[in-house]
Amino acid sequence: MDIWGQIISYAYQYFDNAAFLALSAIGLILIYGMMGVINMAHGELMMIGAYTATFAYYAGVPVPIAIIFAGIVTGVVGVIIERLIVRHFYNQLLSSLVVTWGLSLIFTQGMLMIFGPSAKNMPTPFGSFSVGEFSFGIYRMVLFAVALLLIVGLWALFRFSSFGTKAQAAIENPTMAQALGIDTRRIYTLTFGLGSAMGGIAGAMFAMTAAVSPFFGQAYTPLAFITVVIAGGANVIAGLVYAVAYLAGIQTLTVNVFNQYIGYISIMAAAFVALLVMPTGISGFVERRRVRAMQR
Amino acid sequence: MGGERSLACGRGIGLNGPQTLGNSAFFWVVWAIGLALMIALPLLASRYQIINASNILISSILAMSLCLIWGYGGILSLGQASFYCIGGYAYGIAGINLIQSSGNTELAILAGIIVPVGFAAVLGAMMFYSRLQGVYVAILTLVVSLLLGLFMRQTADPFYAIGKAAFGGMNGLKPAGAGDPGVPPLTFRFAEYSWVFDGRGIGFYWLTLAIVVLVYLGLRWLVNSSFGYKLIACREDLDRTETMGYDIRLIQLTVFCLSAAIAGLSGALYTAWGAYIHPDGFSVAPNILVVIWVVVGGRKDLTSVVISTMLLSWIALELAPYGEVSLLIQGLILVVAMLIAPDGIVAQFGAFIGRMIARKPRIAPNSWKEKIA
Repeated sequence: MDIWGQIISYAYQYFDNAAFLALSAIGLILIYGMMGVINMAHGELMMIGAYTATFAYYAGVPVPIAIIFAGIVTGVVGVIIERLIVRHFYNQLLSSLVVTWGLSLIFTQGMLMIFGPSAKNMPTPFGSFSVGEFSFGIYRMVLFAVALLLIVGLWALFRFSSFGTKAQAAIENPTMAQALGIDTRRIYTLTFGLGSAMGGIAGAMFAMTAAVSPFFGQAYTPLAFITVVIAGGANVIAGLVYAVAYLAGIQTLTVNVFNQYIGYISIMAAAFVALLVMPTGISGFVERRRVRAMQR
Repeated sequence: MGGERSLACGRGIGLNGPQTLGNSAFFWVVWAIGLALMIALPLLASRYQIINASNILISSILAMSLCLIWGYGGILSLGQASFYCIGGYAYGIAGINLIQSSGNTELAILAGIIVPVGFAAVLGAMMFYSRLQGVYVAILTLVVSLLLGLFMRQTADPFYAIGKAAFGGMNGLKPAGAGDPGVPPLTFRFAEYSWVFDGRGIGFYWLTLAIVVLVYLGLRWLVNSSFGYKLIACREDLDRTETMGYDIRLIQLTVFCLSAAIAGLSGALYTAWGAYIHPDGFSVAPNILVVIWVVVGGRKDLTSVVISTMLLSWIALELAPYGEVSLLIQGLILVVAMLIAPDGIVAQFGAFIGRMIARKPRIAPNSWKEKIA
């Protein structure tokens, strides 16, 4: 009986870690894959989402509506950022990185001025279940379900909607897409907004598991960046899924054998190993394999 | 003509060239006046201002290290402050352990340079020999810095100590036992003479100023040498440089290590200045500040970076009493500078002055578009 508890405990931790990585990276990798911009302010967008959800919750809004509301607010913030600033730095990868980093500083310090350093809390819903001696929070599995839902939703959006088709055209060959009458600028703005909204939703979800402060985002971004770097931008969804599966496995293993810090270090090491084998990231590797298979 | 004479005056020792703004005799005269004013600063300013000025000089060494790899080498390191901090910790640890037996800190300064170089060599070899570039290097250096900070924060346990120096976690580096010395000031000993440069003193200010000038002139010579041309070739187009027969991995690794050495030197000076080093130096804020100094100045020119570092650090000091506003304003300055002057406010202003003086219009050497893989 206890063995079952242990096994379920490992599986639970695996899905928990996977949800953490997937939720914090999905908006980031969408923007990176589409426009090649690493949005360093992503953590701060998550923080804005978390604040929005928390305030909405205490204003009496039901939790699911609060989360959606957080997504809308951060989406709008993302659109504004893209229109005003990021737009000027397309095709300049490092400059876009630095300018969004500056934005993250402005957001963090601005929030610190407005709301102060004190943390806010939302209760974790759903309670827990237990197997043998082990007790598990249900909400962590809800996080995983939401991560899956977002990934599947993103896939469906790109697979079935006309926006998805246009967006794919805009990535594949922007000049040709423009010639065919696709407003690529609008596509970029919408994608940036969508990626930001996903960050906001992730932030709102995490607001129920962690204290919300102006530095909220900094707990999520380092691992999210690593996930994006090893996922690569060639095939956003496949890259994200593989990268998350790989990193969550490494993390679960090392955190159980050693400790939390060694877990972080080994994620870093795992990223280096993955990049040595696949310098263009997992998705670049997958894409090449696919192209080769099609040529055969 | 003034212009021709001026090019000759710095060319003899290789300080002038197309990689740096300010090659005219006029520039060097202004430069010398600026230097003279800074040497004379202790006569004009209060002791408190001199202490702050020393720190600003230390910061400008750090900024030059990022200018070298990013502006000239095309490698953006978002974790430049980590080398600074590693150098600081290495100086402190070596200093605490050696000051009583040797009576000087020469080995400690050396440690403050060597240890970051060793760290950069390992990290750089992993990155450049697996051919990572651009955003990958930027993200990895940042994450490494944050992880180091995470590690140093949880070292409050006495277990984390090297000899007489305890890491001290969030309390910063400190002596392990009651009888052990604290972080020593810069101390040099030659035969029976010894000189102590306390961080609070005017001597320390002049010493730091001398180091800034040496690093500045050394880097000007380097970027205008043939190695500098290879660096710039790497910045402009890695593949093409490799096709020409240069080992880009080695060039990138070399400049990464050199920049870590300079950053480590400034970290060692910082620790000696404040007798204190703290894990917060590895966090986001110090790393982003270095980037702000370099971007606002103009990352492709050393002189501009030094000027902007001094100005921005001074603004930050003036704003410090107002708390969060200081970093907020620095962030705003960064974003606005990138929008209105992509090549840097100081560098564009400098190029403008240069055009005014040269009468005939000259094209800024580095005005081409940034291009990354």
